[in-house]
Amino acid sequence: MDVMINWTLILPILVLQLVLAVIGLISLSKAQMVRGPKWMWVLIIVIGNMLGSILYFIVGRKDM
Amino acid sequence: MRGTWLLYRKEMLEMSRSFKLLWIPIVFTILGIMQPVVSVYMPDILKMSSGVPEEMFALYELPSPPVVMVQVLSQYSTLGILVLVLAGMNSVSGERYGGTAELIMVRPISTISIILSKWFAQCTALFMAFGIGYMAAYYYIYQMIGELSWKSGIISFGLYGLWLLLGITITLFFSTILRGGAAAFVTLAILAILSLLNAILPRWFSWSPSRLISLATESLTGNGLSASTAIECCLFTVGIIILAILSSSHLLQRRGLPN
Repeated sequence: MDVMINWTLILPILVLQLVLAVIGLISLSKAQMVRGPKWMWVLIIVIGNMLGSILYFIVGRKDM
Repeated sequence: MRGTWLLYRKEMLEMSRSFKLLWIPIVFTILGIMQPVVSVYMPDILKMSSGVPEEMFALYELPSPPVVMVQVLSQYSTLGILVLVLAGMNSVSGERYGGTAELIMVRPISTISIILSKWFAQCTALFMAFGIGYMAAYYYIYQMIGELSWKSGIISFGLYGLWLLLGITITLFFSTILRGGAAAFVTLAILAILSLLNAILPRWFSWSPSRLISLATESLTGNGLSASTAIECCLFTVGIIILAILSSSHLLQRRGLPN
């Protein structure tokens, strides 16, 4: 596969997704009330990429 | 005024503690960057998912910069507005049902201060997210695809920003009378109906706020944006926003707190 991909342009997306997941995990570790078990949200944030983190911030947190 | 400023600072503190000021701008930035990248690498993406005939690649044309910007805005129309509405749905109702509102409302602070402080806080979050996301998308399109007139970019930013502003104002309004989830549902339904009516009967609904989306698109693609329609539409939308703020303050005062 001789696909030339300019990584300097794609890297920011990956970094931002990583930052989003890290923020989600930090928020999860601090949260006292979470809908459902915490390990489930860890999986959703880590596997679910951007949508997983959005889902956690909107549905998972109880003290919005 | 002083009360509003104090409450605004409290709102902002709460937003940064709940990471809203971080995660919403990041989501908007990812959405904004993703679209130009996907447009440029579309042939490669198709190649990797094998089974696409060779003739397809010849047919693929790189969309022009304005078209990609329009695609970015349509991303914001779906996932972007969904995120904003869902993140703002509990702004008043959460406090009313959670009990924090009691602590605030026994103090001599007018309800308009409470509503205004929340509205300004939501505005700050909205324009941080939309501003950063839009600039990132603009930069990417400029770098990867081609030039885009900054003048039409700013006009479409303003028009589209007003539409998003209407979205969060309606959310705030319903958040004062309904529970969070119901408020989000009603808001999204209203926004969807407005866009649908505008799509089906554009003549009849020239004043409709959802016209702002098509105006933003027109200003990008340069298909003769009529200034009078744009001004009429903007004034109408601003009117609805002011009315919604005033009536939610009135409703909060009259209905008070649930038992």
